[in-house]
Amino acid sequence: MTTTKRVPVTEGLFEETAGGARLLGSRCATCNSTYFPKSPVCHNPKCNGSAVEDASFGPLGKLWSYSVQHYAPPPPAKFDEPYEPYTLGLVDLPEGLRVLGRMSTDNPNSLEVGMNVELVIERIHGDDDGNDVVSWMFRPA
Amino acid sequence: MRDVAVIGVGMHPWGKFPDSSITQMCRQAVEAALEDAGAEWPDVQAVSAGSSRFSGGKGWGLNGNDVVEDMGPTGVPVYNLSAGCAAGGNAFDIGHMLVSSGMYNMVLVVGGEKMPKGMIQLSGVDEETDPEYLRQIAVGMPGPAFWALLCRRRMAEHGTTEEQLADIAVKAHQISVHNQNARFRKEFTQEDVLNSALVSDPLHLYEICPVSDGAAAAILCSAEEARKRTTDPIWVAASAVATAQFDDGIPRGLASPAPADGHAYHSEALLAVESCYEKAGVSPKDVDLVELQDNTVYYELAFPEEWGLCEPGEAESLLERGETLPTGKLPINPSGGFLCFGEATTAMGMFQVCELTWQLRGQAGARQVPDAKIGLGQTLGLGSNASAVILKR
Ligand SMILES: [Zn+2]
Repeated sequence: MTTTKRVPVTEGLFEETAGGARLLGSRCATCNSTYFPKSPVCHNPKCNGSAVEDASFGPLGKLWSYSVQHYAPPPPAKFDEPYEPYTLGLVDLPEGLRVLGRMSTDNPNSLEVGMNVELVIERIHGDDDGNDVVSWMFRPA
Repeated sequence: MRDVAVIGVGMHPWGKFPDSSITQMCRQAVEAALEDAGAEWPDVQAVSAGSSRFSGGKGWGLNGNDVVEDMGPTGVPVYNLSAGCAAGGNAFDIGHMLVSSGMYNMVLVVGGEKMPKGMIQLSGVDEETDPEYLRQIAVGMPGPAFWALLCRRRMAEHGTTEEQLADIAVKAHQISVHNQNARFRKEFTQEDVLNSALVSDPLHLYEICPVSDGAAAAILCSAEEARKRTTDPIWVAASAVATAQFDDGIPRGLASPAPADGHAYHSEALLAVESCYEKAGVSPKDVDLVELQDNTVYYELAFPEEWGLCEPGEAESLLERGETLPTGKLPINPSGGFLCFGEATTAMGMFQVCELTWQLRGQAGARQVPDAKIGLGQTLGLGSNASAVILKR
């Protein structure tokens, strides 16, 4: 019997907690600007400070916009063959971030600008060892 | 600062030219610009060139040096400017400065590009510290998706319809049949556009610009030099480049600050355009024609509103009333734009300088904007670069 492992697409970008999925980033200690992924400094030109602390964001947000990708993206993006169109979403988080992610939905026609969505961690494609490569996604809440 | 004139422009047609090198294409544009200016190659005192990412330049973006070696080494100083798709506009800005500062009396500005096939990977850096690389492996976002997300948002905010989006492409091709340099010179119906393949929903294939090969060049000179060569030069009323501001809401990388009002606009383009209005002492209502970077139909709706050329939410009705045609109240892309030419990335700013010059001289034939006196051009490139230029006669 084999078990499929879940492998994060890259380390240090997200985590799954009892309270739902979280994106891992930073918050400026001075002006509260938020960053994803982590940023070593604050980039707000109006901010006098630069020290940031670790912060995590999610799981709730509002869908700012979305789009179904009918063509396979060029490398280095990866996908399972044959290519199946997937939906991208741009989501405003209450922590002040506009985050890009794939949408977890079987029915893109049901999506609406402004709707509530939540962060989930799901498979985006497989790898050569048969594992599920997972990344953050948004699904209607 | 001294007045600067555009006394010669030249363009290699845009399209796919597998048998021509980028050097050959640039040479054709440069020779045409020199001839148009009534100048010889040795008259050129400095060269400002857009740095290509995809072709020539010895892999270092030394595309101006390629041109000089090909035209004949004269010892002329070369400035190679890299700014993504804004490189041509950036090179123009430096070329303008070289003349307005009094440093040189005659400067060549040139941009040329041969593009690889298909969708391009924006960033050339394959490292997880590169936000574009990270975006591709963690999310997978083909280039057109960026425009599609902005466009879908506009549809929700302003009620823009798929038919209106298609009509922008219809309008572009209606014009381009009259432009001998255009890659696509065939009229489309709204149905043709809507029946073309969906690329990134809601955008169809005919609503986004493909990649092309192309080159364009201009000769800039001082007023004194211009008067020796022509009685009615075209003047550079203003040139500017800018980069983006922190919180304009445009999705760059994986995440960006979300403005509380939910808005998103290209601050780099607005800053460059506003800087030009100010330097030229021109208000939006004075602008007779606009050549804007229409990577997709969306920008033809969004940019005129963001730049004060029309009211927010008015762009669709201007389009429907034919006001954005060369004969309308606000002519947009009377060249046919990049929807019909395709993007030869680093040549785009110089493409616009050529078209604006022909329009202001009254040489644009069947696509002529009647009595055009003031023209605005704008480009946008990776790294949040933007350029803008106002030419006048
Ligand atoms: Zn800060």
